[in-house]
Amino acid sequence: MPTVVVMDVSLSMTRPVSIEGSEEYQRKHLAAHGLTMLFEHMATNYKLEFTALVVFSSLWELMVPFTRDYNTLQEALSNMDDYDKTCLESALVGVCNIVQQEWGGAIPCQVVLVTDGCLGIGRGSLRHSLATHSQRSESNRFPLPFPFPSKLYIMCMANLEELQSTDSLDCLERLIDLNNGEGQIFTIDGPLCLKNVQSMFGKLIDLAYTPFHAVLKCGHLTADVQVFPRPEPFVVDEEIDPIPKVINTDLEIVGFIDIADISSPPVLSRHLVLPIALNKEGDEVGTGITDDNEDENSANQIAGKIPNFCVLLHGSLKVEGMVAIVQLGPEWHGMLYSQADSKKKSNLMMSLFEPGPEPLPWLGKMAQLGPISDAKENPYGEDDNKSPFPLQPRNKRSYAQNVTVWIKPSGLQNPNAEIFLPLIDRCTEDFKKCKEIT
Amino acid sequence: MKIFSESHKTVFVVDHCPYMAESCRQHVEFDMLVKNRTQGIIPLAPISKSLWTCSVESSMEYCRIMYDIFPFKKLLMAALAAVGPPNPRADPECCSILHGLVAAVETLCKITEYQHEARTLLMENAERVGNRGRIICITNAKSDSHVRMLEDCVQETIHEHNKLAANSDHLMQIQKCELVLIHTYAVGEDSLVSDRPKKELSPVLTSEVHSVRAGRHLATKLNILVQQHFDLASTTITNIPMKEEQHANTSANYDVELLHHKDAHVDFLKSGDTHIGGSSREGSFKETITLKWCTPRTNNIELHYCTGAYRISPVDVNSRPSSCLTNFLLNGRSVLLEQPRKSGSKVISHMLSSHGGEIFLHVLSSSRSILEDPPSISEGCGGRVTDYRITDFGEFMRENRLTPFLDPRYKIDGSLEIPLERAKDQLEKHTRYWPMIISQTTIFNMQAVVPLASVIVKESLTEEDVLNCQKTIYNLVDMERKNDPLPISTVGTRGKGPKRDEQYRIMWNELETLVRAHINNSEKHQRVLECLMACRSKPPEEEERKKRGRKREDKEDKSEKAVKDYEQEKSWQDSERLKGILERGKEELAEAEIIKDSPDSPEPPNKKPLVEMDETPPVEKSKGPVSLLSLWSNRINTANSRKHQEFAGRLNSVNNRAELYQHLKEENGMETTENGKASRQ
Repeated sequence: MPTVVVMDVSLSMTRPVSIEGSEEYQRKHLAAHGLTMLFEHMATNYKLEFTALVVFSSLWELMVPFTRDYNTLQEALSNMDDYDKTCLESALVGVCNIVQQEWGGAIPCQVVLVTDGCLGIGRGSLRHSLATHSQRSESNRFPLPFPFPSKLYIMCMANLEELQSTDSLDCLERLIDLNNGEGQIFTIDGPLCLKNVQSMFGKLIDLAYTPFHAVLKCGHLTADVQVFPRPEPFVVDEEIDPIPKVINTDLEIVGFIDIADISSPPVLSRHLVLPIALNKEGDEVGTGITDDNEDENSANQIAGKIPNFCVLLHGSLKVEGMVAIVQLGPEWHGMLYSQADSKKKSNLMMSLFEPGPEPLPWLGKMAQLGPISDAKENPYGEDDNKSPFPLQPRNKRSYAQNVTVWIKPSGLQNPNAEIFLPLIDRCTEDFKKCKEIT
Repeated sequence: MKIFSESHKTVFVVDHCPYMAESCRQHVEFDMLVKNRTQGIIPLAPISKSLWTCSVESSMEYCRIMYDIFPFKKLLMAALAAVGPPNPRADPECCSILHGLVAAVETLCKITEYQHEARTLLMENAERVGNRGRIICITNAKSDSHVRMLEDCVQETIHEHNKLAANSDHLMQIQKCELVLIHTYAVGEDSLVSDRPKKELSPVLTSEVHSVRAGRHLATKLNILVQQHFDLASTTITNIPMKEEQHANTSANYDVELLHHKDAHVDFLKSGDTHIGGSSREGSFKETITLKWCTPRTNNIELHYCTGAYRISPVDVNSRPSSCLTNFLLNGRSVLLEQPRKSGSKVISHMLSSHGGEIFLHVLSSSRSILEDPPSISEGCGGRVTDYRITDFGEFMRENRLTPFLDPRYKIDGSLEIPLERAKDQLEKHTRYWPMIISQTTIFNMQAVVPLASVIVKESLTEEDVLNCQKTIYNLVDMERKNDPLPISTVGTRGKGPKRDEQYRIMWNELETLVRAHINNSEKHQRVLECLMACRSKPPEEEERKKRGRKREDKEDKSEKAVKDYEQEKSWQDSERLKGILERGKEELAEAEIIKDSPDSPEPPNKKPLVEMDETPPVEKSKGPVSLLSLWSNRINTANSRKHQEFAGRLNSVNNRAELYQHLKEENGMETTENGKASRQ
């Protein structure tokens, strides 16, 4: 899930914060401190996250486009200037554009808005935006809800009392509501100081940036893994079952199926399954990403030489052209497979099916899948030339029946257009050629 | 869409009154060949359908589309065929549409199978299951006030039935009902009823009125309605090349329009910034999104990243291009669809594919992946290990493939057996002892052990299985007596591999571990272990002699787990040490490479090519001062080469790599996979 950090650089962020016995801080310093902490956390525990940095006042600017290089982000944080007033709406429009250009409309994104709770004045202020919200037309739609799945986290460089003294909190809460309730507001507990900012960002990290660790199991063969990005809770039907489903931390393989049989199934999301070495305290030793750090490097090397089930599974899935069906929870399944990117690197990937007893009609009910050894004769045939899949639906669809083909009057009078055949034979020729080449 | 939305239940009420028997006055010319006909024959007069026929046909079309796209969870009530055409002479009073509407409301109150299931499942939360429905009434109303009368009637009936339902376990109160009144009249007449958009008559009932001419117009109207009611959208596949019989060498391009759930267009809706508001609904449904056909070139089986798959239904199921397309797909071919872009870049956004007689429109992800440039698996944990039992695990996966069991089976205690649980059970049994790398195991590298290893994991054994296991064990005893070499790993020893009798001791230990892991399966498994123990037991003095001098190895006996862990651990220490020695000794490069390639195993033994171990000749004697390594590797190489025919793959290999499963490629045109690549890249 990519992250967009939206940083308020209006003048109000330069308001000083009195801290006893130390040099003077401004709110923007507190904000930068918190973001540094977030970036550092990502650099060590959430390395694959793409993050972009946007600053805004009455205008907005993309300081750092989506990157995994946290040094660049850090550098940009220390090179920020101060500008004029806060104008949140235009910044949110900017976020919409940036995300849609980069990722399209289907990939969920997290937007971390860092502001001081001063929402601007006059035209373009949040109050103004919200007041005119109901009078919008298609062309100047309010940017929320974001046109992509999203979480909006608002980090306020102010404490609750300060926000409640004006209507700021209400306005910010409206924003979350407008984003269909997806998101949360964080405020500083107690006086404004570095420590309390840290604890506020710590809460955000706990909520949104803790790596998802799980155990991959196939009978007695197991491996500790990190699943990236974190699988999000999923609501099946708001009305009947409004409680979001969460995946197990035990990912249990239940069996295997050929790629041809599973045939490009629709999935909710895709995740990398990275083997990790956990030491006794439960800390990570290596996530499989090389680092300049020497200690980590040697730890990685040791971990690299210990046989790991993920690597075995990945190798065999790739060679055999199969997927492993994995149970994620009650009536929730997914599949593990080998995924190669263009650079010839390949990886173990997990896709989540939609929860339910029958996510793929052509496999039938998941609970009804059993081992081939229980069948009277091998459903895959002695020479592996058959397959029990796909299952046939009980009723034929209208187009699968022997339909009477009607011809329009115009068609009849033009004998040339009487009978059509798709180019099946041409395709067969192509196959032959392909075979000859390979 | 909620499962129990208004679309869960739809009731069609088609007016059966005498007026419906009248002609729709839209003529169908069926005497087409009039031009070529010889003079003198009177052309046949055109015919026209009755209003009733038009209504029934349009309703059927509505149902066809709905059933194609939602074969489950959406229900329709329509019992049209049994009724027969209306009798124009019947008394108009006795077949009033009112009876139909009352019956419709009654039906909506009934609990459907799906609702019942959901309610039983939710137990105390059963009230979450909604009961909503839609009544589509095709009639000929006399006036606007007649329409109002019908609405009132429905309103009242709902009220009454809800009262009834409140006191019943078999009925549910109607929470929401959509009444769609379609006033139809013959072409050429003036409508006496005016259109009216959706209006809330009460919290329970909304109603809308459509005034439509019969014939083609009615069919179009219902087509639009089915799209609205079930959130459908339309895609036109363009540029489909089809051959015409009379011009087999040329092909013309045709377009086919398909309907499907509108979520298949979710990417277009969002990126195109066309936020469909409630007001512009009517217009937006006539839109269709055009996607270009990409003629499939290969039959490659690929796993696409697909974010959704939606059933389709052709708009014109009876047209030739439609039926050509669907037949093509039903034959098992998939077609990629390209999104036309102004820039000219090619973006594949969808795929049409059939799965067992149903055609789905798959949405493929075309945006940038957030998982791009991930670390390769070879860089992570376990990535540097090169002797994984990839082929063996592939075999294991094939044995643990799944297959559907549609008929329920019962356990001995009468409870229902869940096939998926059986599958998990089997995986548990098959992995009780399963070393992951070649150098961790001896028995799985020996062809001679296969008959035992393949059956011992079973839940129960037959007499024949036990016999085979025993034979295997006797065979091994025989091998030991003849002092045949074993494909044992050199791990755990310094420089030279373990002595022959030591090798056998390790092998027997491992075999015992495997069999012991399964003795609780059945009494017959127990018998296999007994046989094993009896065969390997040695006279005490011999055992005594063996023990001397290698106390180090005795630790292995402690437990099965310990065997594995200990060996594994040691393997690292020793292989590191070995490497150190090598560097110091400045061995020849070629030799060093052998070590590097497989730090802890001899020539990776391949199970299959090994023939009878018994035929192995005695080992060569050493000659002259050579290094331990070359001595050892020469010995192993000669021994190996004599006891089997050279593996065909190795003979044809390039750089010691052979392509596996070539026959598969020939059969299926599958992509080639490089041997061992997965573990080494």
